[in-house]
Amino acid sequence: MKKKTQAAPQSFVTSETQEFWAAAQENKLLVKHCRSCGENHYYPRSRCPLCGSAQTEWLAATGKGTIYSFSIIPGARRPTATAIVDLDEGPRLSSVILDADVNQLKIGDGVTVAFEKMEGRPPAPAFTTAAAVAARAYSVGALKASKNFPDLAATVPDEVKIVAIIGAGTMGTGIATACLKSGLSVVLIDSNESALQKAESGVSSALERDVERGILQPELATAFKNSLTHAVSMESIRSADLVIEAVWEQLKLKQDIFGQIDKFARPNAVLCSNTSTLDIDEIAGATQRPQDVVGVHFFSPAHVMKLVEIIRGKTSTSKALATCIRFGETIGKVPVVVGNCYGFVGNRLMLTREREAARLLLEGALPVDIDTVLKRFGMPMGTFELQDMAGGIELNYRRRQETGEKNFLVDRLFELGRLGQKTQKGYYRYDPEKRGPIPDAEVTEIIEQASEHYGISRKPISDSEIEKRLILPMINEGAKLLDEGIVARPSDIDVVWQYGYGWPSWKGGPMYYADQIGVSSVLTDLTDLFARHGAPFEPSPLLSRMAKSGQTFSSL
Amino acid sequence: MTSTANAYIVGIYEHPTRRADGISTAQLHADVAYGALEDAGLSLRDIDGYFCGADAPGLGGFSMAEYIGLQNLRHIDTTETGGSSYILHVSHAAQAIAAGHCNVALITMADRPLASGAGPVLAGVDSAAAPENAFLPPVMVPPAFGYAMVARRHMYQFETTPEQLAWVKVAASHHAQYNPHAKLQQVMTVEDVLASPIVADPLRRADCCVVTDGGGAIIVARPEIAKQLKRPRVKLVGSGESMKHSNGGKNDIMYSAGVQSAAAAFAEAGVRPADIKYASLYDSFTITVIMQLEDIGFCPKGAGGRFAADGNLISGIGKLPFNTDGGGLCSNHPGNKGGMTKLLEAVRQCRGEAHPAVQVKNHDLVLAHGTGGLMSSKHMAGTAILAAE
Ligand SMILES: NC(=O)c1ccc[n+]([C@@H]2O[C@H](COP(=O)([O-])OP(=O)(O)OC[C@H]3O[C@@H](n4cnc5c(N)ncnc54)[C@H](O)[C@@H]3O)[C@@H](O)[C@H]2O)c1
Repeated sequence: MKKKTQAAPQSFVTSETQEFWAAAQENKLLVKHCRSCGENHYYPRSRCPLCGSAQTEWLAATGKGTIYSFSIIPGARRPTATAIVDLDEGPRLSSVILDADVNQLKIGDGVTVAFEKMEGRPPAPAFTTAAAVAARAYSVGALKASKNFPDLAATVPDEVKIVAIIGAGTMGTGIATACLKSGLSVVLIDSNESALQKAESGVSSALERDVERGILQPELATAFKNSLTHAVSMESIRSADLVIEAVWEQLKLKQDIFGQIDKFARPNAVLCSNTSTLDIDEIAGATQRPQDVVGVHFFSPAHVMKLVEIIRGKTSTSKALATCIRFGETIGKVPVVVGNCYGFVGNRLMLTREREAARLLLEGALPVDIDTVLKRFGMPMGTFELQDMAGGIELNYRRRQETGEKNFLVDRLFELGRLGQKTQKGYYRYDPEKRGPIPDAEVTEIIEQASEHYGISRKPISDSEIEKRLILPMINEGAKLLDEGIVARPSDIDVVWQYGYGWPSWKGGPMYYADQIGVSSVLTDLTDLFARHGAPFEPSPLLSRMAKSGQTFSSL
Repeated sequence: MTSTANAYIVGIYEHPTRRADGISTAQLHADVAYGALEDAGLSLRDIDGYFCGADAPGLGGFSMAEYIGLQNLRHIDTTETGGSSYILHVSHAAQAIAAGHCNVALITMADRPLASGAGPVLAGVDSAAAPENAFLPPVMVPPAFGYAMVARRHMYQFETTPEQLAWVKVAASHHAQYNPHAKLQQVMTVEDVLASPIVADPLRRADCCVVTDGGGAIIVARPEIAKQLKRPRVKLVGSGESMKHSNGGKNDIMYSAGVQSAAAAFAEAGVRPADIKYASLYDSFTITVIMQLEDIGFCPKGAGGRFAADGNLISGIGKLPFNTDGGGLCSNHPGNKGGMTKLLEAVRQCRGEAHPAVQVKNHDLVLAHGTGGLMSSKHMAGTAILAAE
């Protein structure tokens, strides 16, 4: 970490407190000890405020303490609570608790000092919880563990310098930006000229934003832009070391594209698909070199979101996988290797949550009730806000068109043009003048009609019931992924949810959370929900085995 | 000890406005000063002592003395302790009178945080250079959160409930319905209070006092003068003041400075809490009232919530009617300072001039108590006991 060296303003650093501020730079809390009366005091003074003696000396505090009282600051973008803290060394002080699960705070909880870097002054004293510290430590370990694939360790990845991206839509543009910013050359290909134009200006404006924010040199931005070329013809992928397909989510189309990739790509190039739901093996089958095909599943917006799920196909070689991992790291992402299944890891859990949220809507909850519970739980966004942002209503609608499956609520929303943020209305309505989603009476009415349509009588659902019905099935789904061998270790699921969906590092991830509340309590609650609400809650065999043997996910 | 118990409150006035658009703060001060003079039956020339807080515009009361036209001043006191300032001013005025420094003291208070857009701050108070500022957390926390932490600790330690806090507001609203100037005149139920949004968890909007413009004035005079006036006589029989702060980190916030200020006032008056027939209690938040009920000695520590929930604060029903004008919770909390309005209603009760629907029958002894600053850290409590004569 970089240390601030600039001199602090006079008003803060005086001869009386300079040691304090020097220690603060190292995140160490000093208090004053009085040799005359034996008491410690805070904030520090040269004379003891308890007895008046000048015989005071600095005492390095542990920085640890317990919460005497607290109050959560509502609506803070960063979780914040004001708190009175009893330091282990004695003094009671007023401060704040940051970057922690403030909605779960209790009087008596352990906290630890976490000085906050400030502009133009020394760091300000603040605290975080012991639970958050532990979860963050776990998160660091989980990230490290996710890079550990013994079967790939010996493989030397190929170097990737030129990337071809086919499909210059939302994802193609984001992936191209990420590649360019890491110094790679990019060839963008789309059958639609105007999509190419739009992509190019999208890349430019992303780079310009970085220049404006002062985090990118203008000359570099120009150099990056010059490393981007585009073409309509697939022949232009010839020079690429790695090809990423990001066209519409249709198997036939993707197979057709991969047939062409096979024709033009150089031998040993790694061939990737950004599919979110399709079977990577079926896509690979469209080529004569399925061993070189790997899924690379980016998250939107792709130049911002850190996660890339690397999907190991049936025949993917170690070389191809290792190259994708190295490529992901090169462009500043967090690659996590996962197996091939519908939704892979991240979306498997997310779709599970979405399905249950949809049931809750029919039973009596409103989008805002559900999203409020999720945000209080710690998620940066609720599921309906997220769907409105990512076009979930349209995706849901289109997904069902082949099978003809109906969904009263989503079909109505779709027909009304409520496609989410892009049409200013979805599960909520949006006002360009206002920040955030606004609950909409029209949606409430449609939800009530939907309940009636399915013959469900609406009744109030408690927040804790909502939380359990949304979070526990995610844990259950995670357990199934482990049993199915889709993920190598529980902590990979947590890495996926932290970097792909913003699960806060101070809460670890769904599997870490399961350990915190106890696997047997998860099983008990799921069993109860299974009895009351049926199949979606049927506990995975792994959970039952773990509960019996007293195992935790972190010890698996 | 110099007895402060030798002076009378002879004039009072509360500005009827709750939002002072187009009126200067100086004019508000003057309006209330003239109102109190008229109430007392005194004239400008009689004033020889002036007391004001930092809300008085200008340096140390000079500008206000000049603006109002106070020509015979020989004593001035600009003690500023936040909301409790004016309760201290009454006590200081009595001391000055007893010491022969003045005969008739005027106390004015006025501010317009709404009209000026200043919000929940204390006018004229600049804490920029306070030594503790360097150690403040990186996030600015409004005062409500300090009281919220007192409330949460009180709930933890004494099993006080949100419903019990709500009863304080319910009682105030029962009184406010009879005050045509009250900002909130609607009677509220516990359910109404609990349905209001959380402001500083566990405090809800209805747990907080109103923000208003306005002010008030009080005239304190020596006995010889008071006896010549025609208004019912209200004698200051006891007063106390006490400061509490974080004390280097050794501080039990479950006790406010009110413990000491009330004990001093009772000792001077020679009476006990049970003798008090009416109390004006500082009500910046519902929890402030609960804490003071306990600290003044109206009920044991920790029992304040139950005391309120038993209806004891409601006039005509309970043991200790409080804030019968609706208080800061419903009527008026001008300039984010409630000490002046606490005194005014205490004087009305002591005179027998409160609204008939809320006037206590026996009004021989009443009390006004204020807490200025932040109950969770630095604050100053003032207590005044008044007797009808
Ligand atoms: N949007 C997301 O949140 C997201 C997240 C992860 C993965 N994905 C996946 O990424 C892929 C692309 O999604 P998107 O949101 O960027 O779609 P998009 O509609 O924004 O872009 C698709 C682009 O592909 C182009 N295209 C279609 N057929 C083509 C062809 N035959 N040859 C060349 N170009 C062709 C289209 O012109 C269009 O520009 C999909 O597989 C999707 O499932 C999307």
